[in-house]
Parts: sequence; C-alpha cells; structure tokens
Amino acid sequence: MYRHNSIRLGFIAAVFLALFLRVGQPKAIGQTSSPGIDFFSGVDFNFRDINYETQYDLLIRLTPGFKWNMGNHWQIAGQAMIPIVNQYGEAYKGVQLNMLDVSKEFHIKNLYLKTTAGIFNQNRYGLDLKAFMPLCDWFALEGQAGWVGWLIMSPKWWFSRPNHFVWTVGGDFYIPQWNTQFRCTAGKYLYRDFGCEVEVMRHFNHTTATVYGRWNSIEGFDGGFRLIVTIPPYHRKHRAVNIRPASNWRISYTVMYNQFSNIMYRTDPEENERDGWFSRDLLQWGSHTMEPDFIITEKTKPIKPTEKTEQTEPTESTEQEQNEQNETH
Amino acid sequence: MNKMKLINTTLILLFLCLLPNIGKAQQYTGISGLIHVPSGEMNHEGDAVIGAHFLNKNMMPDVGFLYQGEKYNTFDYYVGLTPFSWLELSLVCTERIREKDEQGNIIKWSKDRYASIKIQPLKEGKYYPSLAIGCNDIWTAAFYKDQPLIQLYYMNLHVAATKHFKFSGNELGVTVAYRYYYRNYNEKWNGVVGGITFRPAFFPQGRLIAEYTGNEFLLGADMLLWQHLRLQASLKDFKYVNAGLCLQFNLLGKKYKY
Repeated sequence: MYRHNSIRLGFIAAVFLALFLRVGQPKAIGQTSSPGIDFFSGVDFNFRDINYETQYDLLIRLTPGFKWNMGNHWQIAGQAMIPIVNQYGEAYKGVQLNMLDVSKEFHIKNLYLKTTAGIFNQNRYGLDLKAFMPLCDWFALEGQAGWVGWLIMSPKWWFSRPNHFVWTVGGDFYIPQWNTQFRCTAGKYLYRDFGCEVEVMRHFNHTTATVYGRWNSIEGFDGGFRLIVTIPPYHRKHRAVNIRPASNWRISYTVMYNQFSNIMYRTDPEENERDGWFSRDLLQWGSHTMEPDFIITEKTKPIKPTEKTEQTEPTESTEQEQNEQNETH
Repeated sequence: MNKMKLINTTLILLFLCLLPNIGKAQQYTGISGLIHVPSGEMNHEGDAVIGAHFLNKNMMPDVGFLYQGEKYNTFDYYVGLTPFSWLELSLVCTERIREKDEQGNIIKWSKDRYASIKIQPLKEGKYYPSLAIGCNDIWTAAFYKDQPLIQLYYMNLHVAATKHFKFSGNELGVTVAYRYYYRNYNEKWNGVVGGITFRPAFFPQGRLIAEYTGNEFLLGADMLLWQHLRLQASLKDFKYVNAGLCLQFNLLGKKYKY
C-alpha cells in the first residue's frame, strides 16, 4: 500500500514538474492572445451530519491544480486532492489525482461546444461533450454527454472499461434585471439513475447563491442550496506562469444527504454554476454579461526602444501593462 | 438568584451602553424580525448572515429539547440570505442533547434543522404598513406534516404588519402579527402577537425592542459593530437572557447604517 501511494504521489509530482518546466520555455507556449499556465490551490470543505457520535464528520482537502491555456481555447487541466482532515473513511485517504484532462472550446455560429478527454472527478475517466446554444438574451439550451468508466485510486487502484453513457439536457432562463437564472435539467447520471433538477441562481457581486430542488429515480425528492464565492485578489496580472489562489469556493448543501442523486462529473478544476462551462471571452451570455469578477492585466516583456523612438521619446520603463483583458476563472 | 439577576442586568446594561453603533434587529431564526415575534420588515437586498444564538431553556418548546425530563439551555446557528428585497431565506440548526456520560459531559448530540422563508408582498407606504408572510420549517411541513413522529418543533405560519412613525428624528415601529404553530405544545405562542421598536435619533442604527409573544414579554436591543458584526440580547420576563451574534455582509457591496 505504501509503495502504491508513493508511486501515485511521484506520478502526480512528475506531471506537475514536467508541465512547469515545459511552460518555463517561452517558445513552447501556443501563440494565442493570452497563453500561460496557472497554478492554484483552494480548499475542498465537506461536512455531513449522519451520526450522533460527532457533531459533524469533516473532510477537508487541499486542491492544488493547474490550468495550462495553450491558446485557441485549448487547455490542459489537472488537480490533486490532499486530505488534511478525513473523517469520511478509507475512500478519501491519501493523495489522489482528482482530474487530468485536455479540452477544447469552440463554437459553430451560436452553438458553443466543449470537448474534453481524460480523467474527471467522481473517479471517472472518458470523453465528454458539452453544448450550449443561446437562442436569445434570456433563453438558452444546454446539453452534456459523456462516455465514461471508473478510475478509482484510493484505497486501491481499480478501473473499468468506459462502458457507461451519461447525458443531460436542459434549458436556462436568465433575467438580467435581477441577475437571476433558472436552470432546468434532466438526464441520466453517473449511478445509472434518472433525474431532473430545477435550480434558481441569484448572482451578486463575486457571489452566487442558488436554491435547487430535484427528483431522482432511486432516492426520490431532495433539495438544498449552493454557494459560490469568488476568491480575491480581484485584480491580477497575467504572466506566462501564474501562482494564485483558486478562483472560487463552492459549497453545496443537500437536505436529505442523497449523495448519489443526479451526480455528474466535472471536467474543470474550477468549474462552478456561476461561470458555467465556457470561457467568458468566448461566450457572452447569462452571468458573463455582468461585471467581471477578475480584472486581469497582461504583463508583457519590456519593449526595446528603436532608433525612431529614441529620437523622439526614449522609453525608460522596463515593464508595460497593456491589453487589459477581463477574465473570469 | 440575586446574583444571577445582577449578572443579567449588568450584561444588558453593558450591551446597551457599550458602543454607539446599534444595528438592526435579528431573530434567532436568521431572518429579520423582532426577537421572538416576526415583523413585516425585511433585510436589505443582498444581505447574507451567518450567526449563532444562545437560547435560554425558558424560550424553548416544551417538547423535543428535554434531557431526562428537564429542559436545558442550548443554542442554534444559522445562515440567511435576502436574494431579493421581497424574499428572505434561512437555514437553522438547533442543538439537542442525546446522551451525557457519568460526569455530565455531553457525548452524543443531534440537531433540529429547519428552513425559514419570508415573503413581503407589500412594502411600507406613507399611510399603510409593510406586510409579510412567513413559515418556519417549510421543508418538513411540506412533505412530512402528517407523520406524527417527525419533528416540527418550530413549524409555524405567520403574517405580520409593521408601520413606522417618525418624530424628531426618532422612529417608532409598531408590529402586529398573527401566528399559528403546527404542534399543540406550542399553542401558547399562537394568536395575535406584537411589539414595538424604538430607534433613537442619536443611535440611528439601533433599536430597542419590547414584545409580547402570546405567552411572555421580552425586552431587548440590537447592536451593529463595524458594519458586519450584529449582536442581540434580550430578557424574557425580565429574568432569562437570550443573546446572539452574527456576521452580516451585503453581497451587492452596498453599505447600510442598519
């Protein structure tokens, strides 16, 4: 067991190191408007109230991850889970690779698509396709389909062939005057269950609060709320390599503790209901039409003064900030 | 007993005189109101609160919060949100004792959870009061109200009206509410309840509260420190202290005096 954990930890460290070294060479970066790699970490905080012996069972994990934006909306993303406090049991013991995948976003007219391949969270791997089609400023259709298999790393390695097809379809209503969004989805989920869900999201400055109700073919009705809070600093400088806190902190509360109801994997380490599936600079709909959470300033290399500029107005500054770009992670 | 009275009185006086920033009241349910009585007022749009409240055993329902046949002091904690100016939501957990060891230490806990909702269909006007309707424990009430074993310790429906009168910069608020508790053991709090609030001109952020819950009188006050820390303390029947504090943030980034 110790040996397996060491191998797993070494593998994760090697991936991180290789990517870090790779990005350290400027020529290797894809030629896009703002390529670069972000290293970040947040905290995954879980609690449950299912016995009388303790007030709550806690599961607190660090979530170090990276996102390598290679340009043209190609991205490689990865994330590990490092348990700090674990009262949930053996399945959450040890450092785990939570996610490692490559994705591409693009659009065909007003049909926005995102394809992803690799290791997802919820102990799954496979292929995923997300689609989003805004029909007007206040209504859009969405869908997701995946072909996945199991990939469990703790307490033992175990995997299955990708033999499970999951899907969801739904619609989104957005009321810009109230910054309020209604999301209705239905589909077949990871535990071979069918279900539907209605979620109402109220977007505030840097925070989104949602209330949801859902029905599931196995566990029946349930409901709860979610809270997504973006984490400062809200003004950032973008370099080729960036080290920052995670973009958001998300908590999801369920009344009935139906932990296997309507569960879908995530393909991005910072995926959340506030930002949706697509990048802000690609899709301008819903909460992406609000003021951006993060003001990101490009940090470029110094420009050497030419003869012409020397004659007219010498440049003394060693750094210039330009191309203000707003992004939401 | 005299010592307890002295401590209680000192706490209240200290609370009232501590700092000049006195804030808007809160209920132990995480939504706006007086102390135990609901009101027609609402928090500001975007207000989010997270807090805890010490509950004297004399404020607790007569069933559900007993250990070996005796009521006990406990506390609750809550989160609340005002997503719109006409809607408030909250989730509250009240601690219960399930088992103690021989030394009297609590070794097993449980919680009574309930969600509250409050809707204000009518805002206060020049000649008419604000009107709000609300419900505690709405989730359980919706799905399990016909099951006698399901806990509905706090389940109630209420409609409340509040009107404010201003004079010389001061503000006097009058609240009248009708409340119906679902369980019979809470019927002492049923019927017409109400209270008055006083917001002095020199403490525009604060209120003093006097209310009648249908069974007892409560006196209390609130305090807002540094725009984010809200305190409340009250005396039931001039003897029993309840007190709480919460952190308050406006998610729209607005700043209010109270």
